[in-house]
Amino acid sequence: MKIIACYSNKGGVGKTATSVNLAYALAQGGRRVLLCDLDPQGASGFYFRVKPSKKLTDTRFFEDVERFTKAIRGSDFDNLDILPANMTFRDFDIFLARMRNSRSRLKKALKAVKGDYDVILLDCPPNISTLSENVFRASDAIVVPVIPTTLSQRTFEQLKEFFREHDLPAKKLHGFFSMAQGVKSLHGDTMDEMRREHGKRLMKATIPFASEVERMGVHRAPVLASAPSSGASASYGALHDELVARVFGK
Amino acid sequence: MIPDDTKLYFMSAAALEGLSDAPAGGLVPVITWQEGVSPFQVRDTFDRELRTTGRMLIELEGGAEVLSPGSGSAAQPDVGGTRFVADFPEGPVKAALGGLSPLRCLLPVGAGHLRRGTLSLLDDEQKTRARAVLLHLDATEGGALTIVQLQGLRGYDKALARLREMIGAAGGKAFGDDTAYTQLFPDLADYTPKPVVPLDRETKAFDAACDIIAAYLPVARANEAGVIADDDTEFLHDYRIALRKVRSVLSLFKDVYGAEQTIELKGRFSDLMAATGRLRDLDVYLLEKDAFYALVPDSLHVGLDRMFALFAEQRAAEQQALARHLRSAAYRKEIAALCKLFDKRRKLARGGKADKPAYDFACRLIWKRYRKICTIAEAIDAETPDHEVHELRIHCKKLRYLMEFFAPLFPDGPFKRLIKPLKKLQDNLGLFNDYSVQQESLQAFLGGLDGAEPGNLQAAQSVGALIVVLHGRQLAERARVVDSFAAFNSAETRQTFRDLFHGGKE
Repeated sequence: MKIIACYSNKGGVGKTATSVNLAYALAQGGRRVLLCDLDPQGASGFYFRVKPSKKLTDTRFFEDVERFTKAIRGSDFDNLDILPANMTFRDFDIFLARMRNSRSRLKKALKAVKGDYDVILLDCPPNISTLSENVFRASDAIVVPVIPTTLSQRTFEQLKEFFREHDLPAKKLHGFFSMAQGVKSLHGDTMDEMRREHGKRLMKATIPFASEVERMGVHRAPVLASAPSSGASASYGALHDELVARVFGK
Repeated sequence: MIPDDTKLYFMSAAALEGLSDAPAGGLVPVITWQEGVSPFQVRDTFDRELRTTGRMLIELEGGAEVLSPGSGSAAQPDVGGTRFVADFPEGPVKAALGGLSPLRCLLPVGAGHLRRGTLSLLDDEQKTRARAVLLHLDATEGGALTIVQLQGLRGYDKALARLREMIGAAGGKAFGDDTAYTQLFPDLADYTPKPVVPLDRETKAFDAACDIIAAYLPVARANEAGVIADDDTEFLHDYRIALRKVRSVLSLFKDVYGAEQTIELKGRFSDLMAATGRLRDLDVYLLEKDAFYALVPDSLHVGLDRMFALFAEQRAAEQQALARHLRSAAYRKEIAALCKLFDKRRKLARGGKADKPAYDFACRLIWKRYRKICTIAEAIDAETPDHEVHELRIHCKKLRYLMEFFAPLFPDGPFKRLIKPLKKLQDNLGLFNDYSVQQESLQAFLGGLDGAEPGNLQAAQSVGALIVVLHGRQLAERARVVDSFAAFNSAETRQTFRDLFHGGKE
């Protein structure tokens, strides 16, 4: 099982769109996926039309296996379940540790309901906090959308700095350019510069700025499901393939 | 009550459409059908192994899908047209076909067109809360069937329970019995290789004999087409078993038919069987091919290749000859005449015991046969010649036939407790016999080999080695006979035989 976190310390970079489409693409690829909506704005659940559960606000939530498994909701798509938002995260690292430990009650409970997952995808809130640090430690990969602007360039560097300071392996970072606009020469220049500077920490796949992605809020479904033949879908497909190769190997 | 974990249901198309308007507890039922239809074919073995185990194999455009009551549906691409279960590539379909005889070919049961769809329960945000995959089968032969496969979504158990209720209320039935087949293919003929012939204690022996024969003749007839088409080797096997049952009724039910009548009938049925013997022998050799290869070292396999190539050639010729025979006017006339004879029964000459009540008749025959077996078996030791062991085997076989014919007259439990150890004894004796017969026919094969022809010397070496191994095996089985019989004839067996067939007396 792999834990993949989708994270950005800057808002409005297409992070939730990435989580939603990656989760969908991974599930379509035959992997059993649990998408955890950790962002209090609750958008990834919204895109799958899953209503947040009231029971999830309890602080001791993750100590309670039964309630945890009950909070998971099946999406409309095969192999893809959602853990809706609206929870407090105090014990989230405990949750992740238990997901890792095959002998934990949590893991056993999931296995019992055939809910053992190949991938846990975390849609993380946009701030560096104790939660983030725990999530970074627990994750196999941190996917970071970066808008190719000077400001985003700085936040990506800040994130790398945070990793260095906290002794976290920078290898876990997998950045990619998001909402890229080919017509803007600034975007092009920034992308070239960042690729030189960050090398392998940036993936080749780039998600363009596209109206289909904007319209996800209207369709309330992943672009890959609502507009499978669109350019944006092709980009998310490429991002998925590249990430799978990096995380799962060939 | 349908158990709560049922995944597969079936219902009529009209009942399904009615679900659109059914109350759904605040949810909205939505049925959507995919565009277009695709051809399908349902296949099963001739003796309906899938149907009798509640499963359905649906073949479509290269792929196949198996519906099983326990596990729902299993699908696999690129397995279309696979004839034997062993030839399926490993995968969910092969797994779902588990338990099928490796010898039986999967034959078309019926065909038609299939449409796929979904039945969903949506909430006020258009989120699916529960779903069922729909499979609508429209048979060319006239029947139709909608299969509903429930798919729960995690965290929405209530909606799933609601959907299940709705399907039940609309007349959906749990998939897994015969009804789905009869609804889809209403004109499907009945077939069972082991017909149960109802008897009661007062049934006259003559009627019992005629009933059994009249039940087995159609079994033989039902297998003719498969023998002619050479679909699989079990057709001939079952054809022969049916005729052998008839013959054993004729020889075991003594004095039920007139003496001359019995001789005449035995002759006619022997003639029918004689035409099939050689092909069956060759089938057995070819089915056992791998086992024969395993008996001799690799260096001798070349010779076996030669032998089995010859067998395969002979088999092809025998099969064609038998097919010609079964298609011939003479055969058709003869078998039709025999069927008529046992249906009408007026022209059958009755023997002295024709009017005996079946129960008394059965007890006497079974008891006598059992005593005979005991007498022979008790005399067997290491010095006993082989032909006496063969004798024992034949008597055991006859006892088994008698017990099976008359099974409806006796209590189930004690009867089964006798059959089980008897089967074990028969297995031992059967192997002893098989090894001995195989040696003889391999000897005959050797005798027929032209030594001058290239390759035949190698074949002769291999066959010689095979005979040595088979002889060793025969001796080993021979050595087990005394113990096998002792295991069969336990104090409990003896008492049960006395109780059931001899009024509890010695």
